[in-house]
Order: sequence, then structure tokens, then C-alpha cells
Amino acid sequence: MSGEGAWAASATIIRMSEYRQVYPFTALVGQDRMRLALELNAVNPAIGGVLIRGEKGTAKSTAVRALARLLPELKVVRGCHYSCDPDSDHLCQDCRGRLEKGEERLPWEMRRMRVVELPINASEDRVVGSIDLEAAIKSGERRFEPGVLAEANRQILYVDEVNLLDDHIVDVLLDAAAMGVNVVEREGISVWHPARFILVGTMNPEEGDLRPQLLDRFGLCVDVRGITDVRERVEIVLRREQFEDDPEAFMAAFSEREESERERIQRAISGLDAVEVAREVLEGIARLAIALEVDGHRADLVARKAAQALSALEGRTRAGVAEVAAVAPMVMAHRIRSQPGQRPHDVAEVAGRILGEA
Amino acid sequence: MSALRVGAPFRIPSWSEVVGQPRMKLALLLAAVDPTIGGVLIRGERGTAKSTLARALAGILPKRRAVLGCPYSCDPQDSRLCPECEARVNAGEQLAVLEIATKVVELPLGASEDRVVGSLDLEAAVREGRRVFQPGLLAEANGQVLYVDEVNLLDHHLVDVLLDAAAMGVNVVEREGISMHHPARFVLIGTMNPEEGELRPQLLDRFGLCVDVEGLRDAAQRVLVMEKNHPDHARDPDQDIALAADLTKARELLGTVRVPPAVVRTAAAIAVDQQVIGHRADLVLYRAARARRALRLAQDGAATDPDVSLQDLLEVSDLVLVHRRRSLGSGGIPTQAGEAQAPQEGAEGSPSTASPADDAAEAGDGATGDQEDGPPTEGATSSAGQDQEGGMSSGSPGPGSPAEVEVADATPAGRIQLPRERLRRHGSGRRSQTASRDRRGRYVGATVVEKTTDLALDATLRAAAPHQLSRSSPEADRDRLAIRLERRDLRQKIRQRRIGNLIVFLVDASASMDAEQRMDATRSAILALLKDAYVRRDRVAMISFSGRAARTVLRPTASVDLAERQLSRLAVGGTTPLTQGLVASLDLIRSERMRDPEVLPLLVLISDGRGNISMRGEEPLVEAQQAAAAVRREQIRALVIDSARDHLSPPGQPQPSTAANGPRFAGYAFNACADLAERMGGQYFGLFDVSEQGILRPVAEALRRSS
Repeated sequence: MSGEGAWAASATIIRMSEYRQVYPFTALVGQDRMRLALELNAVNPAIGGVLIRGEKGTAKSTAVRALARLLPELKVVRGCHYSCDPDSDHLCQDCRGRLEKGEERLPWEMRRMRVVELPINASEDRVVGSIDLEAAIKSGERRFEPGVLAEANRQILYVDEVNLLDDHIVDVLLDAAAMGVNVVEREGISVWHPARFILVGTMNPEEGDLRPQLLDRFGLCVDVRGITDVRERVEIVLRREQFEDDPEAFMAAFSEREESERERIQRAISGLDAVEVAREVLEGIARLAIALEVDGHRADLVARKAAQALSALEGRTRAGVAEVAAVAPMVMAHRIRSQPGQRPHDVAEVAGRILGEA
Repeated sequence: MSALRVGAPFRIPSWSEVVGQPRMKLALLLAAVDPTIGGVLIRGERGTAKSTLARALAGILPKRRAVLGCPYSCDPQDSRLCPECEARVNAGEQLAVLEIATKVVELPLGASEDRVVGSLDLEAAVREGRRVFQPGLLAEANGQVLYVDEVNLLDHHLVDVLLDAAAMGVNVVEREGISMHHPARFVLIGTMNPEEGELRPQLLDRFGLCVDVEGLRDAAQRVLVMEKNHPDHARDPDQDIALAADLTKARELLGTVRVPPAVVRTAAAIAVDQQVIGHRADLVLYRAARARRALRLAQDGAATDPDVSLQDLLEVSDLVLVHRRRSLGSGGIPTQAGEAQAPQEGAEGSPSTASPADDAAEAGDGATGDQEDGPPTEGATSSAGQDQEGGMSSGSPGPGSPAEVEVADATPAGRIQLPRERLRRHGSGRRSQTASRDRRGRYVGATVVEKTTDLALDATLRAAAPHQLSRSSPEADRDRLAIRLERRDLRQKIRQRRIGNLIVFLVDASASMDAEQRMDATRSAILALLKDAYVRRDRVAMISFSGRAARTVLRPTASVDLAERQLSRLAVGGTTPLTQGLVASLDLIRSERMRDPEVLPLLVLISDGRGNISMRGEEPLVEAQQAAAAVRREQIRALVIDSARDHLSPPGQPQPSTAANGPRFAGYAFNACADLAERMGGQYFGLFDVSEQGILRPVAEALRRSS
């Protein structure tokens, strides 16, 4: 991969070379909803990421890291710190500058989408970027050193134990997620750069809840539980054993499946725009959101996109109530205001009733 | 392989594409018509187009005049110019003026103070040895809209800076050897989700107008939202252009609008009636009503009367008053915080709601009467109808009579009937803040320390800059360094981090008359606390003891769901292993401190204090006293709630220790709980009514005292 040099300094990125160490996505047993949620995001990043809640040892992190290998390739401006898309008008200040200086066409290359990890103990300057120490001392220049949010532009930003993230880091994440831009006004520096990322978080709910505002930023949310089927549990142990014994042989055994899964996602991306959502289906979504008393409108918008992406994955050109019903629990459940002492709505049940009428 | 479009699907809707939300739109338009109204605060649940609309405002704001090349975009007609422009005017220079678009300048939460107020220009200082002021966001915001998303989460020191500038319209900079001031007049727009915490009252009052928004509850409108947000939806720029023209016209007309004395009197009467704080409300009411009339004149061809009508006043009064009423709920959407705070506060002399409510009803009648006195003009009624239809730009006036019925509901006359509860607010639900020692937290400032471990580079360079000329030497040139640093230049970062409390309930589950009641009360107190902790980021744990051992019923958590599940069945019965309970709590707090040394623990013991199971073979009471002493040694805040009903000493007051009177207590004539409390260095409370309130009140008080 060319252009690797710009990223060499950062240890938080899973690179191609490391993929060998990553458990294959298609070798995961069970946890269908979690896998589907991740795939839907790969098909349409505008869905807005996924939050995976569950106990320890339910393959949450494994699945997210494994997804990296199924991700599509992106067209990026060569040498750009922010992986700008040369075909979009949402460019960073550097790329804009290059165009203004008269470069007619920015050089580009194809690069696979990455999973950029945000460690929960990251300091704020590492996340948003900070003043470049070397440039300041050597030449007295005030230069910006990009942080994790810069790396995460157009990639997946993965936060493990997202509910333990420090408050002020959450604030920064929220700001960036809301605008798609990271605005840095600190340490004498005033810059902005695009920061549109797919936010993927995993958490163990026993450690505490997520702030409602951050929760809402996750397009989808799935709860995972340990598998109770004995045969599947045995299969999990066996596969894990095989993988640890001889990762390469294990990878080779799954390479065909991985390849076909990657192609399926790629086909879905190509077919996404052609998927239609009829007005009645939109009305169904709206009625469902009202019946469930969800906060705000983001649920409606995400439900539409998720249903569309699901149809695209299944090779259809029309998203109907069946697709909406399938994605509704992932989209709606975490946006229902929880009243302590009150039983929350059963999304699947309400969806069946409301959408059944449509 | 096709490239993935990440750019296209994220698009920011334009103003006219935002469906519904007429009140929010009206508030923003009024603030745009007359910037002296003082900005808008938008409160509401997540995902209700709050920030979308605030940002979309940039697309419809009228252009403004600014001095060419001025970093503060001074308006040449303004009475207050920046020092540069003033000097140029004094020198007899004719300032070149151009029309510029009004911007929405965003203040990000992570901004540092030097970038907000401005600071010494690092580059100029280091490279040229000149002391140059680098203007900050407040300079950029002069004459513009300054937008703060999640304004309730803004750091205190930034809020202070913002308040200063907003109050004076001037930014005064006295730092790093720079002394200057420049105009900083802006329309402040803030958005917030009240679930995340309240706004400081002082900042709240700075916002001229306030709106509470909710999601649309109409399926057809929701479908419209989905359609307009789709990437394929064709944008119609005409509506925005028309609205921008209306705004420009309204601004021009503002000077021609007259405010009849009757309207001024009514405004004052409303302000008095609503028990608003201070006099800003009256002034804002006046200005907002005037802007409403100007907007109406600009938008509605049928309206020609330049006099502000009562209708204008009533339409805006809710926007002006909703955040200035003295009541706790302040109308609108009830917040989790509000609900959780109310019970804690309500305990202090519970206010009778009946009679103020009656007063309010009477006042409501009065206001309605006024409305009938003042002749509502034709235009007033029709455009109110238009408002009901949900859009400033929707044009056609509504039909007469049904609209009139609606108007009666929508006017504040209905709102006045809210009960006026005078509840005292406590520390506005803010979390404890401490200066962080371990490089975690937000960088808020710099200081000189003996050994610098967390270098504040920008501050260090600024400190070194003035000395560069005197320090230049041949070696430095050889090293090709632009700057020479000395030890005394080094600056350490001051970081600030919000940390939460850890409240550990240690509950006696041994068999006694009221054991179950005690457990139930503790359980509901924990849930109530967690509802509040939701805002405050506190965590709660519970350990119970009975039989021969203590049991951690609830690991430290901030999750209401989890607490509800774990506490659904609490076993009671058996003997009282008090020491075991105390030791278990100590262990828990120690391990939490290992994870985060800055956590603030509070131990709450609910028991009759009569331990009867020995842990190490000593007298149970002596063992418990030793454990209590350990609590004090380790500086853990503690309080003891005495659940025994038959104790002899009066409850509610710290008791003098009687332990000195003898090694063994004489029967139970000795208040064991008060003794433990004293040994822990904590407070003692008697629990007469074993209730949620009986537990919550002391805990809330302990938390308040220590923060």
C-alpha cells in the first residue's frame, strides 16, 4: 500500500500486514444481529455507526476488528493527512490550498478503509491534534499535528469500552460527529479538517450507561449475549483453538468465504442507490417511531437507510416493511427514553403490530 | 471496484428544509432581526434539528457592512470601533467598507482560552521578536452569530469569558504582556440537551430568548423529514433567498415600528406576574415584540400597522419568559435532572402548591382580560393562524375563526397558570471538578512548576519569546534552532477533569422488625440517586450484611437498569456481621481508588450499629470501632443512618461519644451508631421514618457539602 508512510507513526491503525493476526469475520459463530449491523454500516456509512453492548467475551471487539478486512476501497488524495475524497467538495484546508494554487487534479489512489482505534486513555491533544513540537522549536512555525480524528476521516473510528471514555473526550467526539468537521481552537492553533467517521463502540453495560447524547449518535445499537446453544459453544472453542494454533492455515481455510463476503458487500454498495423505499414504507417508519415514543428524528432517518442497505445486501431493489421490521430493533431500541420502574417497549412486538397494519 | 462515497450522504439541510419547529424558527429569526435581543437558547431532546437549524441560519442572514481588512470586521457606523479602526478614523482616513456575509462562528467545546480571547502571536514573537496580538474566536465573532453546541457542557472558565464579553460587548485581553480590547458584539446561540445537565443561571439569563423543542408527533411530517433528508432530494434555494430578503426588509423596518404605551405596560405586568428574575425580561419582551412586528410587516403584505399589537407581544412572551421564571421546572420539557432534584429539595419545608396555583390562575385571567382590552388587529389574528400551520414561510394566512380558538391556547395566558413553586436550586447539578494530576483531563491553563512533567508547549514558547533577541548566540545559529528555551521558560499544563462520586451503601440486612422496609427504602433511594447520577456521573454500589458475611449486592455502577435488576430481590434475616460489612466496603473503596485515585467515595452505613458476629475473635463492637477508625484514616467521607427506632438519645444531632465512659457499653443505653459515626469522622442521622427520603436527604447533603 502506498501512502502508508504518512500513517507509519501511528500505532492505532490496523494495517494490512496485521490482518494476518485478525480472526476472520466469516468464522464468527452466531451473533447474527451484530454482524448484520456492522455489515449495514459497511454498505452505507451514513447509517452512523453501531454500538455493541454486551458482557465480556462475546466477540464484540473481535467482530469489529475482523470487519476491517471486508471493507471497501476508498479513493483518497495521495499524501493527504485526512484521506480526502478527490471527487467530493468536502476537502481539507491543504487539499483546497492545492486546488487554489492551480493543481488541476489532485493525485489519488485507492486505499482500503481502515479501523482506527481510539484508546480510552487517549489525551485530548492526541484525539483532536495539537501544536507540532518539532516545527515550533526548530523553525518557530505554528504547525498543526493531526490527531486520531484526522486519521479517522472516512474510516471506522472504534472505541472499545466507550462508556468509560472521559467526559471531555466524549464532548469532542460529539462535536466532530455532529458536524463532520473537527474544529481545533487550542494552543494557539486555529484549524479545521473533515472528520466524518463511522463510529463503532463496544461496551459492557454493567460498567455504566452511555450519555444519552452520545448514545443517539450511534446509528444502530445491538445487544449481544453469550450463546446458549451447546453445539455452537463447542464450535466457538474449536475454531478459536484452530486459529491460535495455526492462524495462517485457519485464514486460508476461510479465505474463500471472506472473499465472497467482501464481494457481497461491494455489490450492495453498488446497488444501494437503486433501492427504492415507497412512501407507505416511510409512513410505517414514522408511525413506528411515534408509537415507540423515540427521541427526535434521527431514528426515522437511520431506519430508512438501514432498511435500504439491508435490501441492497440481499440483492433487492426495493425496501419494504419486512426490512424495516428487521432493522427496527437496532435502530429504535436505544432511542426510547427509559423510565426507571417502567417496562420499555418491546420494539419487535410493536414493529410487528404497526407495520403489520401497513 | 467502485469508490465509496462518504461525502455525499452527509448533507446539512438548508433552513427551509427543516420541517415544522415554528417556535424555534421564530426565535432565531427575531434574534436575527434585532441582534440586541441577545441570542437564543434552544433546549430539547436529541435529534430534533436543534443544531441543524442553528447552522442553517447562516444561509439566510442579511449581509452586513464591515471595514475592509479589519480583523474584527468593524461596522463603520458602530459607535465602538476596534483600536486600529479608531486610530485610522482619528487620523482622518476614509475607511473602505464592503458588504460581507454574516457568518455563524462556532465555539467548539474543546477550545482553549487563548484561542477564544486571543493571545500573543507565537510565530511573530519567535521569528520576528514582535509582540503581535493574534485575534481569537471572540474577534472573529464580532458582528456575527456565535454558536455553541452543547452549551451546558462548556467549561466554566470559557463560560466566564463568554459572559464578560457578552455583557460588555467588548473583549478585554490582559495576558502574556498584551493589553488590548476590541469590540465583541455577537448574537449568541446555544443548543443543549437538558438530559446532560443544566445551564448556569447567569448564562441562562444572557440568552434573550429560549425555546424548548420536541420531536414532531405527526406521521406525515416525519415522512417529510425523511424525504427532505434524502441525498436525492432536490434543494430549493428560492425559499431561503426569499426569507433572507424578508429579514433584510424587517431590519430596515425595525426603526419604523412603534410600541404603544399599553403594550409596554402589559409587558411589565407580564414580567411581574411571572416573577421573572431581574429587569432584563421587560427589555427583551419589548425588543422581541418590536422585532415580531417588523418581521410581520416584512412578510405579510396585509399587515401595514407599524404599532406593535398585543398579539405580537403574546406570541413572543413565552420565548422571553420560559427560562426566566423563578420556578424549578421552568416549563417545557421536564428534565431528568429536574425530577431527581425535586425530591431532595422538596424536603425543606414543602411548598404548598395550591394557593400559588390559584394566584396564577387569577393572574392568567388578568392577562386574558388585557388581551380583550387591547384591540387585536386583523393582521395579528391571521398571522398567528399562519404560525399554527407550522411555518414562517408558509405564506397564506389561516382562516379566521378556528385560528382564533387556537390562538387562545397558544398564548402565554394559558401558560401563566403554571403553579409557582419556589424551590431552591442546589449546586445546579454540577459535577465535582478537580485539578487533575495525571495528564488526564482538559488543558485549561499553564503554570510554572519545579519539575515540568506535562509540557504546555504554547505557553512555554510564549514565555520564551520576549527573550529571544538577548539569547541569540553563535551556537544557537549552528543548531539552526529558531528558539532557545531555558528552564525558567517551561510551563506545565493545568488540566481539569470532571470526576464523579462513588456512593457505597452498606446496609444491615439482619433480621429485625423493619428489615424489609429498610431494604426497600435503600433500594428506592439508590434508584433515585442513580437517576440524578445520570446527569452527575456518580456511581453507586451496595453491600449488605447478614448471617455470617457481607455480600456485594451491586458493584459500582451508574446504570439504572442494572441497579434495578440486581436490587429486585434482597434477602433479609440472620445475625449482624457489621465488621465484615465495614471491611468489605473498605476493600471495595480501596480497589476503586486503585483504578482511579481521584474518585470521591462516600460511605453510607444504614444499620442499628449492633454488630454481633466477631470477625477476628474480638468483641464485635470493638472490631467495628476499629474498622470505623480505618474509614477515617483513609479519608473516606462517611455518614451513618441509624435505623434503630428505640435508641435513647435524640436523633438528628451528632452525639458526644460515651465510649470513654467504659470499655463495654452498658446494655444498649449507648448510641452505637453515633459512636461509629464519630469514629469514622462522619455525620450521624437518626432515621425515624424508614423511607427513601430519610436516606436521600442526608446523602444529598453530604454530597453538597463536599463539592
